Amino acid sequence: MRDMVRRVVRCAVGLIWGAAAAVVELLCTVLAGLVLLPVVAWPRGRRAVLRPVLAGARRLTELERARLRIWLRFHVPPVYGDTQAAGYVAGRWPLGLLGAVVMLSVAIGLGYGTSWMYLWLLVDDIRETEAIAYTSLGGLFLLFLAVQGILGVAELEGKLARRLLGPHHPEALERRIAELSASRAAVVDAVNDERRRIERDLHDGVQQRLVALGMLLGRALRSEDPDRVDRLLRQAHEESRNALEDLREVAWRIYPTTLDEAGLRAALETVAERASVPVRVEYGLTGEPLRAVATVVYFVVCEAVTNAVKHAAPSRIVVEVGSREGALYVSVEDDGRGGANASGSGLFGLARRVAALDGRLEVSSPPGGPTLVTAELPCA
Amino acid sequence: MRVILAEDSTLLREGLVRLLAEEGHQVLAAVGNAELLLKAVTEDPPDVVVADVRMPPTHTDEGLRAALEIRRRLPSVGVLVLSQYVEKRYATELLTGESEGVGYLLKDRVVQVDEFLDALERVAGGRAAFDPEVVRQLLGGTTHTDPLARLTARERAVLAEMAQGHTNAAIARRLHISQSAVEKHTNAIFDKLGLTGGEGYSRRVLAVLRYLGS
Repeated sequence: MRDMVRRVVRCAVGLIWGAAAAVVELLCTVLAGLVLLPVVAWPRGRRAVLRPVLAGARRLTELERARLRIWLRFHVPPVYGDTQAAGYVAGRWPLGLLGAVVMLSVAIGLGYGTSWMYLWLLVDDIRETEAIAYTSLGGLFLLFLAVQGILGVAELEGKLARRLLGPHHPEALERRIAELSASRAAVVDAVNDERRRIERDLHDGVQQRLVALGMLLGRALRSEDPDRVDRLLRQAHEESRNALEDLREVAWRIYPTTLDEAGLRAALETVAERASVPVRVEYGLTGEPLRAVATVVYFVVCEAVTNAVKHAAPSRIVVEVGSREGALYVSVEDDGRGGANASGSGLFGLARRVAALDGRLEVSSPPGGPTLVTAELPCA
Repeated sequence: MRVILAEDSTLLREGLVRLLAEEGHQVLAAVGNAELLLKAVTEDPPDVVVADVRMPPTHTDEGLRAALEIRRRLPSVGVLVLSQYVEKRYATELLTGESEGVGYLLKDRVVQVDEFLDALERVAGGRAAFDPEVVRQLLGGTTHTDPLARLTARERAVLAEMAQGHTNAAIARRLHISQSAVEKHTNAIFDKLGLTGGEGYSRRVLAVLRYLGS
């Protein structure tokens, strides 16, 4: 019972404040309307006028949030935009005035409900006892209704604030769908780019070597000179080893089987071993991440290391993998000459791959270095 | 023969240079892109040019474009194009216009050193050399199926050999038949395809090819 009374009193104070605020809000809304009217068709002027209007709306909304939190115990997250604040200020004042009406009803109900008491005390000769009794009962009933009204309006206040200031569900969904569509298209593109690269790898590497090998053997077959035949065969033997090496490289670039067989850590260490520059791997994950995440991390490291070795002439590369606040992060830093192009095909493809998992890839590469490629992926 | 090579893969370029040198040919220049090729050919026209279709910067058809340009500017220079795949479009493009001394080989054909050198000789001598695979596809994919359908299997074989640019003597050797039999077959083919005998065999071959590739 005591809690109930407390709550009613608290809400009542909140509504009184709300009513006062409603008057201010109504005035501000009318004023803003009047100020905006002359510049409505003039975009530059509209922008200039809107700025202070929106700032004012935000300030009022902040006061309202404080009132809702302190008196009505409603927590509204501060993630609203300026336009949402303006909409709230313009839309809330009727409710504030309703709160004023409710409080007025409370006062009237209280007045009539207690009338028998002061009539008893002040007036000696009471004649209309029946009328007084009815009036008092009516007053008490109105008081009861008004107290209910207090709680009802308080509830409405909270709902309205959440509705107008909270995240917009349909909008958020639409944004998410747009994001997903974009990242899905990007993944398809990235896959096609990779296929193109594989095709080029096969043609410009493996096939050329095989043709060269065939030519050496062809020359050996045509030659009459045993010494030359011997030399050509040796060269052909060497060339066949190179062709196999190339084939292995291409296969490795297509998909590192180590990743499946021995996990991310082993795959990253293999990348480090194969690089022609010293690479230090600092692996701070306790468990093996999900397959999709591990694959992306692997490709981020692989591409970043390859890029660094190819373009930046670094003396050392540091690869770091770890988890932080429920996200997996990976960073590749080299001390090379910098100037990496984040929109270049390799890094761009990586960014798309990372985005497909709702992650972020950032490249910082000032001229003169150092280059730092970092990626953060949710669901570590 | 005086030869100019254009091939972006250093490995193959060097291999070809050595091969041609061993065979006693003179390699005037060996370059890695179409621009340098045109420059080299203009400075000192060779007997024959060997060009890769795909070359930098875009790796699409620079080599072919350069080859066509050379055909236009210096009709006396033979042009042998090497391609990764059979591209009908390219073959047909090479065959349009004055098309003597042109060739189109699959790159892998270089491995058959004898065939490659033979094709190079033919192209340098103002004749034609088309990869058997190219011919097969042109024959297989032609829209003029009716007259072709009237050819016997033997005549088809002779036509395919002819389309590659082989002489009657070579065809006789390759198909293990007598030269007079080859002549009989060729005449039958021209009759069936409605081609009147022109002068010189390569023109006839090209006419056939053009007919098939159109």
